[in-house]
Amino acid sequence: MNLIETLTFRINQANLWKKEITLKRNEYLKVEGSIDTNLYYVTEGALRIFLVDEIEEHTIRFGYRNNFIAALDSFIKDSPSPFYIQALKKTNLKVISKTDYISFLKSNIENLQLWDNLLQALILQQLEREIDILTSSPIERYKRVLKRSPQLFQEIPHKHIASYLRMTPETLSRIKKS
Amino acid sequence: MKVNSSLLIDDLIERTKEVINQTETLKENSLETLNKKPNPNSWSTLECIEHLNYYGYFYLPEIKARLNNSNKKAEAVFKSGILGNYFAISLLPKQKLNKMKTFKSMNPSNSKLNKEVLNTFLNQQQTLLKLLNKSRDYSLNKIKTSISITKLIKIKLGDTFRVVIYHNQRHLVQALKAAKLNLP
Repeated sequence: MNLIETLTFRINQANLWKKEITLKRNEYLKVEGSIDTNLYYVTEGALRIFLVDEIEEHTIRFGYRNNFIAALDSFIKDSPSPFYIQALKKTNLKVISKTDYISFLKSNIENLQLWDNLLQALILQQLEREIDILTSSPIERYKRVLKRSPQLFQEIPHKHIASYLRMTPETLSRIKKS
Repeated sequence: MKVNSSLLIDDLIERTKEVINQTETLKENSLETLNKKPNPNSWSTLECIEHLNYYGYFYLPEIKARLNNSNKKAEAVFKSGILGNYFAISLLPKQKLNKMKTFKSMNPSNSKLNKEVLNTFLNQQQTLLKLLNKSRDYSLNKIKTSISITKLIKIKLGDTFRVVIYHNQRHLVQALKAAKLNLP
């Protein structure tokens, strides 16, 4: 079992899921300015996390089946978060509250270690992502992401991948053809 | 009405999320459905939303300007004004929608409308969310805004948000009905 499988197995055993949510295509789980401290587990579907500035949307992350997804800033700080989380197709989620999750972590050192390992993996992903953003060549950005997560190109609509890669949909089409 | 300021903002953000999700549902329908009038005297779905856009064109810049020109800090409690509270509550959707008069300048009837109306409205909601979040740091009591129907009175910012958002909810109910969509 990988980290996430082990974690969900243990959450199942402790019976900690608070409820299940279904989102239709394009519906929002969370919008800008809200405080959402829950952790969500995706049982079906796909989502994107994005920010809106004065001009456009910036897609910064995706969540697929068997992933955890959250507004991590809200989760950690209990603060309002600028992120939107939107379903890209019909999506089912299981919900666990922060309070329940924290006491679950504190109840057993192995749970805590598991979470620690997951956060480490997340930090490494974020470092890769930082290198993406600093990579000036669009083709190199595309190659990096294709190599790292080929799943993205199967599950996510083209325009959101382009936003994630910080290029126009036209540029992405051109790169894919060449 | 007295309420914790941040709880009020949280509530209004949740309502706006609901409004956005309902609008996303509307987008899935054909232009024909969205233009259908339930009867000659009532609005189509797109007319309902365009009516909301008219209000947005007035209120969003108004709220933004008042926030930008103010240094009045947030307070723990928001106390609704008499008039502001009356407007807000009268707009909330009820079980059976009561008919209300609309002002001529806000009546979109018979304008030629396409799906861009929905995108405009969704963009307005993104702006509204930014303003709601920003106003967590400002006084919902002391900052006042003008209202669309008369220049003679001003209402408290907290009530202005309630008016705009309850009004959105009200016409979303009507818009979903006009498209004969089941309410969630």
